[in-house]
Amino acid sequence: MNIDTQLTDWREQALQFEQQINQTVIGLQPAVRNIILAVFARGHVLLEGNVGVGKTTLLRAVAQGLGGDYQRIEGTIDLMPADLIYYTYLNEQGRPCVDPGPLLKHGDTLATFFFNEINRARPQVHALLLRAMAERSINAFNRDYHFPHIQVFADRNRVEKEETFELPAAAKDRFMMEINIDMPRGDTELDELMFNPRFHDTDQLVAGVASTGIYYRLNELAQTLQQRIQTSPKLHAYALSLWKATHQPQQYGVQLTDVEMPQLLMAGASPRGMSYLIRAAKTRAWLEHRDHVLPEDLQAVFPVCMTHRLFLNPMVAYRKEQLLPELIKGILDQVAAP
Amino acid sequence: MRILLIMVLSLLGCSGSIDEPVSYFNVETPRPFGYVNGDEIPQRIIIETRSGISLQPGSLPAKGQINRWLNLNRVTVKQSGQRYQIDLLYQVFYAPLEVKSLTLPGFTVQLSQGEKSIGQSIPAWTFTLSPLRELVVRQSEQGEYMRPDSPPPLLANTQALYGLAASLSIAVLIAAYLGYLYGCYPNMPRRTVFKRALRKLAGLSKADMEQALTLVHQALNSLNGQPLFSNQLGDFYRRNPQYLQINAQLAWFFNYSNRYFFSDGMTVVAQDLQQLKELCEQCRKIERGSR
Repeated sequence: MNIDTQLTDWREQALQFEQQINQTVIGLQPAVRNIILAVFARGHVLLEGNVGVGKTTLLRAVAQGLGGDYQRIEGTIDLMPADLIYYTYLNEQGRPCVDPGPLLKHGDTLATFFFNEINRARPQVHALLLRAMAERSINAFNRDYHFPHIQVFADRNRVEKEETFELPAAAKDRFMMEINIDMPRGDTELDELMFNPRFHDTDQLVAGVASTGIYYRLNELAQTLQQRIQTSPKLHAYALSLWKATHQPQQYGVQLTDVEMPQLLMAGASPRGMSYLIRAAKTRAWLEHRDHVLPEDLQAVFPVCMTHRLFLNPMVAYRKEQLLPELIKGILDQVAAP
Repeated sequence: MRILLIMVLSLLGCSGSIDEPVSYFNVETPRPFGYVNGDEIPQRIIIETRSGISLQPGSLPAKGQINRWLNLNRVTVKQSGQRYQIDLLYQVFYAPLEVKSLTLPGFTVQLSQGEKSIGQSIPAWTFTLSPLRELVVRQSEQGEYMRPDSPPPLLANTQALYGLAASLSIAVLIAAYLGYLYGCYPNMPRRTVFKRALRKLAGLSKADMEQALTLVHQALNSLNGQPLFSNQLGDFYRRNPQYLQINAQLAWFFNYSNRYFFSDGMTVVAQDLQQLKELCEQCRKIERGSR
């Protein structure tokens, strides 16, 4: 089959999948679109939001729709790395047994790994996850285990700060996107969520998502897609300007209120972050029926790909909830494309 | 005998003059007529005394009001050796209805020698004072009865006016420049954005399409105040509603620019550049307010 028709077929499936998720989890279209982008660009996703807005339901629905082996674990303060790798118990004969833990249970077919409340886990667990996410492998029982298909979804709620561990910069950088989930805005959607019994039982709701079974072919698709979608020299220049602007926004005329701009940032975007940005932008161009990337693709994925990669100076870090979105918007507003 | 008599007589004559305490006395006064209300009348008294005799300044009249109509404005005494020059300056405040004879009162100056004192009287001085106002019955009622004095001539101030005008205009220019530096006229350069773009665009050919597109992009960006992308056109129209009428052309431009810059395999034809120039001219018309 011709590669272009193959890509078109895939796009149809992707859009259909998106539509299905949007029917299951209503009012979160932008977040769903971003998750689809991350899935097809093969990047890990961190969801952040308030309690009970549907983060977990959304991720479960996506996992169910994609198919593939699925594991989840809840972050708690006493969770240790070993708990992810194995667990011990006494069997019926009273003998001690060691079985593979959630990460190893499915071996190399592990697809979606869902880490609930990631900021409740200790830094040791984060460290283990770092390797699993970046290299798609871990070392256990004196050998390496590979997970070529692993996709990590993590979520954390932004309300509580007690008994939580802030994710280290290195761990955040390994997530392709950090997506904020807000409550749906529309009154009809809120009404549906309140009164439609369909949304009351999430298990049944998620089970209603038909599995597309496309999961294990995603790696191959992503590779084809990344090679197929073109980027022009002008776009390279634009992306480079965006990258530089995340390091020295003042040079591009970005000015935030009550901030000494040269002292604003401790670190700008990393090369890995920029490569994730381009991957996501290419995927977006593909979903938008194009074979080339436009600045608007970069702009669409820039906030979700970049916000968690910029580290503010401690002096102004207490205002990051306000400053980071302003900074991202300022950069997008000030950097000209052609 | 006769000779002896002459000698005695002449000696007698001499002895009299030697004993006088005042050797010279004179009152110098100006004309005694032709004065009107408010005039000042100087009087100079010169007294030369014998040595050892001095003038008592306390015996001179005091400065100030002398009587109802006469003021003594100034008293100065100059002494050189035994010669005293006393200058008095009177001023008359008397409004007579007809020519009237008035008298500066006399007084006595005291001269002293040791404990003895001699008086030297200054005689009164009479003069005539004329009325200021026209007091005759007039034959005709024409003309003004009382006239003010002619106004005093004004000092020449043209130089000062020129100086003021020059410094004011310099101040205004500096203020305008300061305002420009502070960015007080954000709209001023935006009024000529497309004018400048058109001028540059005129010299470009089909081969310079990249430059031409960049020019139009830059013009739109500076009009917008920040880079303008096709997905922000809605916001742009909200802020500049007059551009909504060329929406189709702007959409074509962004679409064309996207295809030109970001995808390959694009062939430029001369008509595209023409269309670009037309778009720019439309924008120029809107900018001038003629559309």
